[in-house]
Amino acid sequence: MPEKVVEVENLVKQYKTVTAVDRISFDVYQGEIFSLVGPNGAGKTTTVEILECLRKPTSGSASVLGFDVTKDETEIKKKIGVMPQDFNAFERLTVKENVELIARIYNIKPETKQILEELGLWEVRNRQFHKLSGGMQRRVGVCMALVSDPELLFLDEPTTGLDPEARRNTWEVIKTLKKMGKTVFLTSHYMEEVEQLSNRVGVIVNGKLIATDTIHELISKYGGGIKVNIRGRKIEEAENILRKFTENISYDKDIVTGKFKTREEASKALAELYQLSDGYRIEIIESGMDDVFLQLAGHRVNERGELI
Amino acid sequence: MRSVLAVFIALIKGWLRSKVGIFFSFLFPLMLLLIFGSVFGGTGSTKYVLHVQNFDVKDGEPTELSKTFINALDSIEIFEIKELDPSIDVNSYVKENPSFEYNYRILKIPKGFEENIQEKSMAVRLNVVVNTFAYIEKNFSSYMKESDLQAIKEGQEELEQWKNTFPTSERAELTFLADENDISAMAVRSILESVINAFNNRLIGVEEQMMTITSESLVEKNMSATDYYLPGYIAAFIMTNGIMGTTSIISELRRNGIVKRLAATPLSKSSWILSNVLQQTVLAFMLTAVMVAFGWVIFDVRALPNLYALLLIFIGAVTFSSIGMILGGIIKDVEAASGAGNAIAFPMMFLSGAFWPIEMMPSYMQSIAKCLPLYYFHDGLRNIMILDNLSGAYVPFLVMGTLAAVFIGIAIRITKWKEL
Repeated sequence: MPEKVVEVENLVKQYKTVTAVDRISFDVYQGEIFSLVGPNGAGKTTTVEILECLRKPTSGSASVLGFDVTKDETEIKKKIGVMPQDFNAFERLTVKENVELIARIYNIKPETKQILEELGLWEVRNRQFHKLSGGMQRRVGVCMALVSDPELLFLDEPTTGLDPEARRNTWEVIKTLKKMGKTVFLTSHYMEEVEQLSNRVGVIVNGKLIATDTIHELISKYGGGIKVNIRGRKIEEAENILRKFTENISYDKDIVTGKFKTREEASKALAELYQLSDGYRIEIIESGMDDVFLQLAGHRVNERGELI
Repeated sequence: MRSVLAVFIALIKGWLRSKVGIFFSFLFPLMLLLIFGSVFGGTGSTKYVLHVQNFDVKDGEPTELSKTFINALDSIEIFEIKELDPSIDVNSYVKENPSFEYNYRILKIPKGFEENIQEKSMAVRLNVVVNTFAYIEKNFSSYMKESDLQAIKEGQEELEQWKNTFPTSERAELTFLADENDISAMAVRSILESVINAFNNRLIGVEEQMMTITSESLVEKNMSATDYYLPGYIAAFIMTNGIMGTTSIISELRRNGIVKRLAATPLSKSSWILSNVLQQTVLAFMLTAVMVAFGWVIFDVRALPNLYALLLIFIGAVTFSSIGMILGGIIKDVEAASGAGNAIAFPMMFLSGAFWPIEMMPSYMQSIAKCLPLYYFHDGLRNIMILDNLSGAYVPFLVMGTLAAVFIGIAIRITKWKEL
């Protein structure tokens, strides 16, 4: 098992009337992308900001890179890179000036060419921050988090509010961070994003961490298996085949759905279905984090991060 | 320290590139200077009335020298000279004129003014000559022939003897009467003193020498109304930039998360505050330079800030930007924060008497003014910049220095670097 870079034990953050974070415990390992996923107000940002030493925990313990968040603030701040929620930089400073500012604060040489090139910002380095598109701005945010060459990066909702294309571009940037060997702590309310990027995920709702595991484990435990949808002329023939392999069959208008717990079960049914595949169409739907979340929290999360 | 400098540069660059920032910090003050300068810069309204009672009369006519002296006073634009007949008893005259309140200022020229001065100046001139001989003898005797040296010594002795034949006359004593509550009396008095100094110098003929360049400039300063107001404007706009500018900058940087972004770096809270205060200080110096240059070109302003003035400007910038840091730190909503900044800065600007002589205001308003930091700021600057009266700036320095320390202390306490 790789080294633990974040250790959280029974962490609580209590505001006057609200318990924002309610006795959560988890670990983050070196080199992985760990995500906290949940709707708005679930406690994601509060947790991250405790780890960034921007908030004081009410009780419990948390350590980052071996340092206690309540005692070794400066040590932690020197070693982490941060992109806060709703990230903004000095709007009238250029991309390069903003990145160099952070470098100077960390007391390192403001040589930013390489990192700007790696993140595809070299061409726009002399453009003022407020003149950039949303996606480019986030890229600057990642660059500012990365310029001090931190061991651990916190990216708090890095793609919220971006259009799908900009979001995918940002994902590519985050994937390169992993290739660089950085540990990334991500928060998001986009299930697809979490599934695309993370090794391990913590599902957080109402301040409580309700599951923590690898994507694969979560989907196989809570994803509800694989769905096979059939439609077409010879639908009854197909339904008979499905019945041989599963009892879990449902109907919706002219579609028959068979659900399988595992891939193996589904593949047997599919093999037979494909032999007679004349007269109906087969659609395979593998379950994802959406289903996991629905199963765990009893709700879905919409585009804006609200529980529905 | 490097990080303070880095953040300071970021703040300055951001400000220089913001049109709104430039407008409110520079153009707006300049526009007001232009408007106020044109409105008040002309005649009348800003003059100090000075009553002159001339007792130095010969054969029913004032003496030449006393006339010259009064003309010299009259040529100073800031004075409006009103002559009082020597037969008037000033005590009852002041009492009978309720319009004076306590704003009477009377200069009495004594009998024998001309005579005393002429005798005295002759003696002084002789002294100068005698001393010059002594100086030459002391420093250059080794280069001289014995016979020349002897001649000089003889001349010197003769002069000494001649000097002793002059009656040792008293100095001409001028009397200046003013009410102790009259705030501008001090200003009038120090202008008077500089006139008298220059007058003294001219009487003994020092004006041909190197020394007079400085003495002369005191009178030649020839202050205009805009001269009088410039320190007030500078003080007022350093205050508005500090309070209104800093408040809205800080609340905006908090709102858009830049403060949080910086708090997540190793930058310390005090470095952050220091960077902001430093930015406002530099801005204050820039504003001063621009205002003085503008006043010089357009209104022929001669009042220049010296080192003490710059020190007071620094203290003022610290005081008012700390107030801005406090407001911006308490109020998160950008609109509400800049509203609060305006609500404090605007009344202070007008109540403190920065834009007009404070004695024009009713006495209760004057008392209010003296409770406002801006009053001490502009009063101190005015004392230094136009009256060359450093002792008049002691209290302002003390008050402003204390306030600067107190407010920056509160700003450090109140600025949040956690739970943002």
